[in-house]
Amino acid sequence: MINRWSFLLFLALLSPIIGIFFGAADLSPSQLYQCVVAECASQVDSVIFWEIRLPRVLVGFLVGAGLAVAGATLQNITRNGLADPYLFGVVSGAGLGASIATLLFDSQVGETLTLFRLLPDVSFSLALPVAAFLGAVFAVTLVQALASSSFGGRGEHMLLAGVAVSFMLSAFSHFLLFLGDPFAANKVIFWLMGSLARVEIWYAWIMLPIVMGSVLLLLLFGRRLDALLLGDENAKTLGVNVTAIRLLALGICAALTACIVAYCGGIGFVGLLIPHIVRRWVGVTSRALILGCVLVGGSFMVLVDIIARSALTEQEIPIGIITSAIGSVFFLLAIRQRQT
Amino acid sequence: MNGHENTDATLNLANLQAQQLCYEAGGNTILSNINLSLERGKVLGVLGPNGAGKTSLLKMLSGQIASHGQVSWRGKALNQYTPLQQAQQIAVVNQLNESVFALSLQQIVRMGWLPHKTLLSRETVQDHQHLAASIAKVGLSEKIHQTFSSLSGGEQQRGLIARALVQKAALIVLDEPVNHLDIYYQHQVLKLLRTLAHQQQMTVVMSLHDINLAASYCDHLCLLDKGKMVAQGPIKNVLQAPTLEHVFKIPCQIRRDDLSHHLRVDFYPPDEAETSQMPEMVQFKSMNPPDKRYY
Repeated sequence: MINRWSFLLFLALLSPIIGIFFGAADLSPSQLYQCVVAECASQVDSVIFWEIRLPRVLVGFLVGAGLAVAGATLQNITRNGLADPYLFGVVSGAGLGASIATLLFDSQVGETLTLFRLLPDVSFSLALPVAAFLGAVFAVTLVQALASSSFGGRGEHMLLAGVAVSFMLSAFSHFLLFLGDPFAANKVIFWLMGSLARVEIWYAWIMLPIVMGSVLLLLLFGRRLDALLLGDENAKTLGVNVTAIRLLALGICAALTACIVAYCGGIGFVGLLIPHIVRRWVGVTSRALILGCVLVGGSFMVLVDIIARSALTEQEIPIGIITSAIGSVFFLLAIRQRQT
Repeated sequence: MNGHENTDATLNLANLQAQQLCYEAGGNTILSNINLSLERGKVLGVLGPNGAGKTSLLKMLSGQIASHGQVSWRGKALNQYTPLQQAQQIAVVNQLNESVFALSLQQIVRMGWLPHKTLLSRETVQDHQHLAASIAKVGLSEKIHQTFSSLSGGEQQRGLIARALVQKAALIVLDEPVNHLDIYYQHQVLKLLRTLAHQQQMTVVMSLHDINLAASYCDHLCLLDKGKMVAQGPIKNVLQAPTLEHVFKIPCQIRRDDLSHHLRVDFYPPDEAETSQMPEMVQFKSMNPPDKRYY
């Protein structure tokens, strides 16, 4: 077991280094070394290192870790291995938020709305993540309210409510996009596919406290989250306040996913796939699972981002496409392995 | 019946007490006016046909559902304990059928620590010794790292009892602990519970279907029928043929087993009863003209 943990730790340290070395531009290790210890040899090197590769690696790691942790937590609190942060309507909620933002920034609509003039003069690129975040929070709140009021808070019902809300919100946002400016619609669609392309270093400073805070809280409540695996009734007899723990965990997942989706769009399958791999490798109890998800999820995202950046010349592939493609194949393999 | 006859002295001795418990769900009366008391270190078996209210009674006694009437444990009403304090005192062993992810036996038994741990407290050496001792006590030391769902029914049941031991609970409440177990494990589990009660002064309350098993391993019985307490007290007071026949609707006879000296109930389903001269069956025979059979 110690060997496995050290391997994961090694992987988590190695993948960012690989991520910094690989990319479309050829930077030799010595040039990069120079950037780290002293000053970059040229202006171009400096931009590539500080403004492109480092932010992407840092944000990529945080995004992967955050999605995997959110997925693992949702799977534990719903006792359902198919739970995924995106099944809770978070992405479609964020999509709706983003669509509304594009519609508001559409000059014609914007000018007719007096309310909009009262808003501070912000750029579209800044307003998009904020609107997406608000949309994601709205979706999670809606799912949670539905699940706890009309369905008695049971795990499987929560999933079903999530799926229903997802479809409903997507319908709204598709309608808005249909009405709106085709250019803006394109932008939203590209963003919904999930991408680390426009990542900037300050994203990392926003995500870092959220991811770290969530992980610490979940570790703290680890034993109580484990008890939920036995079923609500059993957990209650162990003195666990099931409703409170579930609400707390859901809130954490919502915050994690919302901030990730807001900046990077919908990166699919990471939250579903990584927890399954980690369970097999280092165990099913919450504390091991969450730490494992941070290491594996982060490394996975950084490595996949290398493919996204360098697979096609001149262009990059939205990372969500690659994670979904790789993820679904791995997932099928995992199911097959379990059956035999 | 005997519940009302308790004197004040025995009531004070009692560890677990229930007074005038009533429970309704969906407009149906599940339990009405249940009184019982149980001393420390005793095993109480709850008997009764399906739907008699056994599970509801156990849930009320363990504080899982709120009750009309009062349950008190060690002289204090159950609803005055916080959920955490309750969990430190009372362990509940339910059938576990919801383990989606492959938790190991050890991981499940460790959960017994929960009521005694705050968010930040660490596991001490004593905790681990107590855990190992508890698992050894139920005879599962060798299977400690196995996946819980890969264990046999009896092993799972003993694992959950080990969890109750780790929980350091003074009262264990079990809902049909020997359901689905083969005869060997039925006796193993019940023997373990009786030993825990008699040697470590734990109080055990469980529901059972098999009256003869209950007669062999319990100190007290209570018999429920349609939400009412029909009989309770020592084995010989409860196992009375007329009462059992009334509750279970099957003719029966009570005898004392020569080998074990426990009371035994033999039930005679109606077909067999034809030969054993039960009064109702005689009536039944007389209603049919005897010669009709030969046509």
